[in-house]
Formats: sequence, structure tokens, C-alpha cells
Amino acid sequence: MATSAPELPYAKIREDLFRPLSGGSARYWITICAALSIVILGLVAWSIQVRDGMGVTGLNRPVFWGFYIVDFVFWIGISHAGTLISAILRLTDAAWRKPVTRAAEAITVFCLMIGGMFPIIHLGRSWLFYWLIPYPNPRLLWPNFRSPLLWDLVAILTYVTGSVIYLYLPLIPDMAQLGEHNVPWRRRLYRILSLGWTGSDREWHALERAMKLMACIILAIAVSVHTVVSWDFAMSIAPMWHSTIFGPYFVVGAIFSGIAALLLVMGTLRRALGLELYLTKHHFNNLSKLLLLMSLLWFYFTFAEYQTVWYGNEPSEMAVFASKIRGPYAPFFWTMVFCNFVVPFILLGIKKLRTITTAMIASVCVLIGMWLERYLIVAPTLGNPRMTSAAGVYVPTWIEFAITAATFSGMIVLYLLFSKLFPIIAVWEFKPHPVEEE
Amino acid sequence: MEHRWGMSIDLDRCTGCEACVVACHAENNLPVSSPEQAEKGRTAHWIRVDRYYEGEFPDVKVKYRPVLCQQCDNAPCEPVCPTYATYHNPEGLNVQVYNRCVGTFYCANNCPYTVRFFNWFAPEWPEPLQLQHNPDVAIRPAGVMEKCTFCVQRIHRGKRDAAEENRPLSDGEIQPACVQSCPAEAMAFGDLNDPESKVSKLAGSGRSTLLMGELGTKPKVFYLERAK
Amino acid sequence: MADFREQSKLEAAILALKAAGIDADDMDVFSEEPVEFRRGILDRPSRMSLVAVLGAITTGGLATAGVFAAQHNYRLITGGMPVFSFWGTGVITYETTMLGSVLATFGWFLWESGLLRKRDHNIPVPTVLPGVMCLRVRCSDPHVTRVRQILDSAGATDTVRKEVA
Repeated sequence: MATSAPELPYAKIREDLFRPLSGGSARYWITICAALSIVILGLVAWSIQVRDGMGVTGLNRPVFWGFYIVDFVFWIGISHAGTLISAILRLTDAAWRKPVTRAAEAITVFCLMIGGMFPIIHLGRSWLFYWLIPYPNPRLLWPNFRSPLLWDLVAILTYVTGSVIYLYLPLIPDMAQLGEHNVPWRRRLYRILSLGWTGSDREWHALERAMKLMACIILAIAVSVHTVVSWDFAMSIAPMWHSTIFGPYFVVGAIFSGIAALLLVMGTLRRALGLELYLTKHHFNNLSKLLLLMSLLWFYFTFAEYQTVWYGNEPSEMAVFASKIRGPYAPFFWTMVFCNFVVPFILLGIKKLRTITTAMIASVCVLIGMWLERYLIVAPTLGNPRMTSAAGVYVPTWIEFAITAATFSGMIVLYLLFSKLFPIIAVWEFKPHPVEEE
Repeated sequence: MEHRWGMSIDLDRCTGCEACVVACHAENNLPVSSPEQAEKGRTAHWIRVDRYYEGEFPDVKVKYRPVLCQQCDNAPCEPVCPTYATYHNPEGLNVQVYNRCVGTFYCANNCPYTVRFFNWFAPEWPEPLQLQHNPDVAIRPAGVMEKCTFCVQRIHRGKRDAAEENRPLSDGEIQPACVQSCPAEAMAFGDLNDPESKVSKLAGSGRSTLLMGELGTKPKVFYLERAK
Repeated sequence: MADFREQSKLEAAILALKAAGIDADDMDVFSEEPVEFRRGILDRPSRMSLVAVLGAITTGGLATAGVFAAQHNYRLITGGMPVFSFWGTGVITYETTMLGSVLATFGWFLWESGLLRKRDHNIPVPTVLPGVMCLRVRCSDPHVTRVRQILDSAGATDTVRKEVA
């Protein structure tokens, strides 16, 4: 099915996609102010935590990891949105990806930035986080490269670098076009950032080659990053963490939540920026089908994992299993299954029900479900350690809720700013080639 | 030859009196928790006595097991610390370096015995307990992980005294606070590299068991109990 | 400089210019979106894949060597606890290899596209209008009329001639 591009007049496309960049509606300013205030609340919460100690959170012995690690894995997971859409679809030459790539790449970069904050936020002595970085120092100290946390550091740094470059490269031609903007500081900004792009075929050629290479590389990086993040859990000997399935399980879950986030962002942008002609039913249909596919894959992995544990009937693992299926975590577990599998299956599997609105509803459910999934990986295992005398329960405090909320608001702020500074649809990719006009 | 410190705890002698817990608190400047913090699960007891109840009233049997850091030779907590704040020293101790700990909590998650404790707040002592601090033991700041050290300060003092007096260490000369305070004399501490030491003999006896030894952590605390 | 609105005419012009002896390096096409030429018309050989691989191997190798050396020379006295880990180092090798390829690709892109090379500001750069492809040909004086002829017969609009010192 063709996109609507050839039917739209050339000038109209240009105008539509560049229009959001000037001025802001009241709705925009209200949203950004509200989001910023929540971010500030989160910062206040964090400073209280740094000043008073980790005791202000709900963490305890034995649940030493809580919301922050859940959020960390969640945000890094969502960052796989851009990778899948941009890279895989670019490599398979799927034309329908064109209006969607920049939104996806932006999600990746911002999610990584937010997710990368959490390894610092969750530290007992956050101000010493730089000790994990291998740098020569007079004390001749090096970090422990055997620790999965070090692998996290390297992997996430690599992924951040890769995604920022992957977002920046296709932005250059669009920024060059924006060099004629009416606001002077913006003109300067675009001129500097577009590095003097003139649109010559040499530049285009180099850009296309670079994008093709980057697509392959970023795909390899993305798979490895979430595998390495999963190894934070799998490399330990805690019951129900020490599982070889965690690598692929987390990658699948990441792509799953990433597509849901992308769907949600696209649906919101469509309505907020009036992009109905560009983000059409066709795009949402394809993304919904992908979401359904990932939901089935996720279900397969989850089922395999739980079935194996249940059949093995190992006492320390069964304690964790029981707490999830029947015990205090049961409401969360069954909500997760409902949100991640039942809702997408019904809303997106039945063709008649698959609309843009239901896709958005399914996406929100999936995001909730995936957050719960991360929570159910962290808390029940830690709460049911091998020494049953040390079992405990995790009750988060307002600090953790505030910081979690602040990250969601932070994402909104970053995205709103981005949509005002840069066209959210890659104009040069989307515009039809002039020859098609004849 | 290098020492290799080990401990034996005779479960058939243990009465569950918890004198060892109190002694450890006194010796190692353990912070005092409030009732609210205790309810949240944030007390620190480097050695704790686990109680296991068997049977129904009136035929109830209680078993006590003092659990402390097992100083595992194959410690799961050591490889995962990103800053080497916990590592193995040549005398077999699993050492916690407070200065280097950034508080990632990974070591505590990986310990199967759950013997690691975190300083959730800056430590406090209600009057007049702060007068009773042991000057040989550091006070840990907020944000740092801690655990039983086999009273490493006593080990150092013992070795230093023996070196000053130009004599070898005798068995039983170094005793951690818990071993020293046990009224039932259920605990023994010594050099596993010395085949004549009390601990070596007890560890090699038929009653010697390891706590969760099947995990392969190679703990150095030997629990003596009658074979069932 | 000449503006074209149809790709087929542009391609014909380029082929004609090449036949007349103008080098492909002297021709540049400016447009607001990439123009997909058929093979053989305006090929620009690229070394980007090679550079990416080389960058990957260099960075990965350097990082692995660094991590290896740090682990082996670390003066931590451990009672037998290994400091070096083959698999851990392997993960870091993989990630830094990927990082190297990313940085190399980006750096080479900046070089190959000419964005970071010293620009000759005397050469005029056309302002590209939407939907238009502008062909810029650099040639010396005697060829100008012939070039103009070819461009006009190929159907160019708005041909402009600029003198460069």
C-alpha cells in the first residue's frame, strides 16, 4: 500500500512539517510547565535522598533494589523503539517507516538519557559514581571489569553515542533547510548544527552510506545492550534471576515496550500537530501488527520461563514463583499478563477492532504491563531470598514515586522541546522525489 | 605460612541466647535502629540467630542457627562489586572496604546468606551508647555496605602482638567478639591452615556441615550438628 | 549552474557532459532530497565500510588491550580471587568494537561529505529551490560555450554562469 506522499503537493508537505517549529500554542506551554514542575519535584526528592541517605526510600534488607532499577530497565527497554523502526525497517527498505523514523530515533536518545540517570540515582553514594569509570588516578585504582555493572556502563555509553549520531545524521539536511528560519538564534543554531550542508550529491551519497552502516551497527549494539542489562540479574545466583533466558527475554521485552511507546508518541503527535495526512491508518496498522507479534513473542518467553521454574520445583525458586502467582505480588502479575497479552491480542488481533484509538489504548496497557514485568522481576526475587529468615516486603515511598514520575515528565519535556526545535518527521526522507511529480 | 581464618559453630551447644549478637554490636560499632526502621527491615546484625520451629505445641522443637558472613572462598559477592569494595584477602577473609563502596547493592543481592547490611542513614546511637564505641573499628557513613569481618581488628591486634613479642600466634589467642562471648562455648575460631588448631579439627569432624554448601560458595563457617 | 526539474533530463545532461570530457569530479548536483541516479551516471566511490571496520578493530583492540593490561597489572592483593575475566573482557571488547565502528563511520562521513574539509569559498553554492535539482559544472573558459550548449539542449532551466577567480 502506497503512502499518501505522491498525492500531497510538494509545497504543502514542506509547510506542514515545518509549521510546528514556530510559535507554541497555549496547550503546549501548559503541558511543558506542568511536566517541568513534576521534574522539579523529582529533583527535590532526589536531593533529599542524597542529603539524608537511602533510608528515605522504601528499600530495605533484603529488597536492596527497587523502583530505580525497575525504571532503569524500563527506560533502557523503551529505547529500543528507534532501533527497531529505524534500523530494521531501513535495512528491509520498508517505505512506511519514513514518517516514523525521526520520532523513533528521538525516543531512543531521550530514553537512554533518562535511563542512564538511574544507575547514578540508585547509588548509596551517588556523588562517587565516577569511580566506575576506568580512568588513571594517583591511587592506581581500577574498577572491576568482571562486574556486570561495568559492562552496563560500556554498553550504555556505546548505545548513547550510537543513537545520538544516528539521530543527528538525518537531521543535518533538515536543519540546513531550516537555516532560513525567522528567529535569529534559531538560524544560528541550525546553521552551526548543519555544518554547512549544501545538498550536493557527494554529501547525500556519504549520508546514505553512513545511515546504512549505522543501521547495521546500531542493531548489533541494541541487541547487546539489553542483553548486558539483563545480565545484571542473570549473572547473579538469586532464585529466578539466574536464568539463561534473560538475555533474549529482555531484548524481546524491550522491543515490545519500545513499539508501544512509539505508537503512543505517534498517536499523540498526530493529534497535537495535525499530522493526520502523514501518520496514516496504514502506519498505525503496521505498527499494531508488530506490537501484536511482539506480544505473542513476549508471551512465549514468559510462559517458557515460568513453566520451567514450576516444573523444576526447586524450593527457593518456588518460593519466588508462588509469591508472584498466588502471593502478595499476584495482583501485579495477573495485571501484567492481562495488559501485555490479553489486551493486545483482543484489540489488535481482531481486525475490526484494530483502529488508531485501540492501538493507543493497547500501547498504554503494554507500557503499564512492561513496567510491572520489570517490577516483578526485581522485587519478588529479592523479597524471597534463599535464607527464608531474611524474607521481606518492599513498600516504596513518595521519593521513589516522585523520581519515577519525574522521569516520565522529563521525557515529555524533552520530547516537546525536540518537536519545537526540529521537524518530527524527516522532511527530506519523506518528500517525494521531484521526478514523481510528473 | 599464611593464615586461613575459619570458624566453627556447634549447633548442638547453641542455646539461642544471642550473647554473640550483643557482643558483635558492642565490638563493631553497629548502628542502633529505631522501632520504625526495624519494622521496615533495616536493622543491622552482623551475626543473627535464626530460629527454626519443628512440630506443634506441646511437642515443639526449636533449632538455633547463628548466621554471619561465611567468608566464602568462592564468594558470590566479590565478582559483582564494580569498585572492588569487596574482595578476598590472602588470609581468606572476604574484606569490605568502606571507603571504596559507592552503594550499588549488587553484593547484597548476590549473597545467598543475606548477611550484608546497608547504612541507610548516618549511624546514630542513643545516649550513652555513643561513649562505648570501639576505637579500633571505623564508623561507616551513610550509603556504604557492611558485614561481619571476623573481627579483623582483633586479628590485626593479635598478629601485631605476636610479632612484637617475636612469637608465633597460638591457637585460640584471637577470638572475635561473638566467639569470646558465647556462654555455651559453642563457637571456635582459628587458623584452618594449622592442622592442630581446634577449628581445623572440628571442621574435619563427622559433625561438620556447611550452610548451603551445595551452592559452591565454599564458606568457612562450619556448623557442627549431629547427623540425622 | 543549471536547474533541472526532471531527473531523466539531468541524467542525459550529465552523460553528455561526460562525453564532452568534463570530469565527474567537476560536477555536483544540489537538491533538497537525495537523487537516486542509476549506476554509472554519477558514481562516487566510497571507502566508508572499510573505515568503519578499521575503526571498529582499532578501538576494540585498544580497549581490550587496555582492560587486559589494567586487570593484569592491578596491584590488588587478592587471596586467589581472579581479577582477570575472559568473558567480562569479551563483553567490553564487543561493545568498544561497536563504538569504534560508530565513531569511525561518523568521522568518515564528515570527511567524505566534505562538511569538515576546508571549503573553497570562491566556488558558488546555489540556493536550492524545492523540487529543483541544480547541476553545477566547473570548467575552464574555453569549454564554457560547449557546456552551455549541452545544458540548454538537455532542457535545463535558468542556466547561470559565474566567474571564479
